[in-house]
Amino acid sequence: MSGILAQFETLGATRQAIERLRAEGHSELDVFSPIPAPELEEALGIVASPVGRWALIGGATGFLTAVALTGLTALAYPLVTQGKPILSWPAYFIIMFEMTILFTGLFGFLGVLHHTRRPGRLSAHYRPTFSVDRFGVFVRAAAGSDQRDVEALLRSTGAVEVEVSA
Amino acid sequence: MATAEIDVPREGLPTLADANRDISRPISTPYGRYWILLGICGALIAAAGVAWTIQIRDGMGVAGINNPVNWGVYIVTFVFWVGIAHSGTLISAVLYLVRSGWRTTINRTAEAMTIFAVMTAGLFPLIHLGRVWYFYYLVPYPSTRLLWPNFRSPLVWDMFAIGTYFTISLVFWYLGLIPDLAVLRDRFTGIKKRLYGAFSLGWQGTVRDWSHYRRLYLYLAGIATPLVLSVHSVVSWDFAMGIVPGWHSTIFAPYFVAGAIFSGIAMVITITIPLRWAFGLEKYVTTYHFDNMAKLLLLTSLIVGYAYGMEYFLAWFSADPIEQESFRWRATGFYAGPFWIMVFCNVVVPMSLWFKRTRNSLKALFVISVLVNIGMWYERFVIIVTSLAHEYDPSAWQVYTPSLTELTIMVGSFAWFFFWFLLFAKTLPTISIAEVKEHLAHEHEHGNGH
Repeated sequence: MSGILAQFETLGATRQAIERLRAEGHSELDVFSPIPAPELEEALGIVASPVGRWALIGGATGFLTAVALTGLTALAYPLVTQGKPILSWPAYFIIMFEMTILFTGLFGFLGVLHHTRRPGRLSAHYRPTFSVDRFGVFVRAAAGSDQRDVEALLRSTGAVEVEVSA
Repeated sequence: MATAEIDVPREGLPTLADANRDISRPISTPYGRYWILLGICGALIAAAGVAWTIQIRDGMGVAGINNPVNWGVYIVTFVFWVGIAHSGTLISAVLYLVRSGWRTTINRTAEAMTIFAVMTAGLFPLIHLGRVWYFYYLVPYPSTRLLWPNFRSPLVWDMFAIGTYFTISLVFWYLGLIPDLAVLRDRFTGIKKRLYGAFSLGWQGTVRDWSHYRRLYLYLAGIATPLVLSVHSVVSWDFAMGIVPGWHSTIFAPYFVAGAIFSGIAMVITITIPLRWAFGLEKYVTTYHFDNMAKLLLLTSLIVGYAYGMEYFLAWFSADPIEQESFRWRATGFYAGPFWIMVFCNVVVPMSLWFKRTRNSLKALFVISVLVNIGMWYERFVIIVTSLAHEYDPSAWQVYTPSLTELTIMVGSFAWFFFWFLLFAKTLPTISIAEVKEHLAHEHEHGNGH
């Protein structure tokens, strides 16, 4: 894929580059960061991650599973113990609570794997410096004048290294 | 955060690359003493293994437990380790939610401690079983007899609570490790690169990836907080649901949770002080962090001390002679020694933490934290054993002393815990690299960062 990969040293410079690129109409950006960076998410216009929905569905699944597990097994073998009703919901609620939390966490994790498409291979634009202290911005741009404009923009915003791939 | 309290001068602030290098250094540095420590732990685990094998062969008679004291050192040590497991999630989840920045350099260690402590605690219900090969009866599975576990039983609640706690703590810990595993993948070559690369799942840290990551981290912190409160509450109900004098009390859940956090913080301090020294992490774990941990220790000590007093108040206020006798005997009877060790270590000693000088002296903190660990083991001993030994019928009163088998297994459990911890300290970053770098990046860009 033809484009330009620029490396930045600071959050501020990366943010500025993203904002200017987006203003010039380059919306398809791959941005790499060594640290969690809400500032860059904002600059890229990333809305809230859908992982929360996975967690919610997981929590509901866990809760209903526990309702079924405790209630149905008690009815399947209706033996009175401790003088309590067959369906002792207050006691069963503890199981429901624990299973709600268990499934919320597990589904949430599956959600993160799904949305980040991991496990998977590293992108061709990934550089080992991105896990140290460099921020990376990859811009898709066709060879020619477009590429030269982007390169100039990236350099003017403080890119310390620029690679052009044809 | 007052900058003056951080003993790293601003000019000497580590760079992001420094953080990568310093924190991952122990992984590639050989230490002779490390293998000796690992060997000692291995030998003690083997001794405990022999003791357990003898117990399985000869039966529960080799343990000191009797009737009425049928819960002894195994259950005491089980509750102790579940308690140790609590600070990990407290530090990583609760302090994350309240945005306490100082957790950053200790949360990884505390989370690892949580996982290994649950792994240790989980062994004891099995060791305590007379016929350990029937342990799977607790698991709800469709047997041919259609017989299911009794979900009204606190022991079944316990299995669900601790199973969930272990799983969620593991997910939480692993999620936090993923970016750091990618750091190690990029630092190393050969087999190490491939192993760390596989466990990092190909993490590349795109901003979009981070947004999913941060969202789940927040959610896990949110659900781990009520979970951590529920786990030790459920453990306390193993006792409080029984009508044993000294156990049958409504304060047990908060009392146990406070005790668990107290002992957990103490264990974090006990482990972090030597770890910081051995791996040269003084730049990252500073007296500022220890000062905060010491304050938490002091706070929880006050809560625990209040609970001790309140137990006595409730016994008196109940006007129940059996309850009153149980508590009178606890402080003055056969087990007065353990009782007063408990009071001294958990209530008296931590009061020295009111003084900043004590909080800032690592030697004093280390000694205090070890004493609190000892005191908290004794607390569980006092609650469990003295209550069972002195129930309703005077003709059924009997004392219990631990047998050599029980003590060997108890010591072995400490070796088992430290064995796993040592393996962790040498193979994974003991401080969250990504979080430290996030903090440093902001410090570098915005002056003092706040």
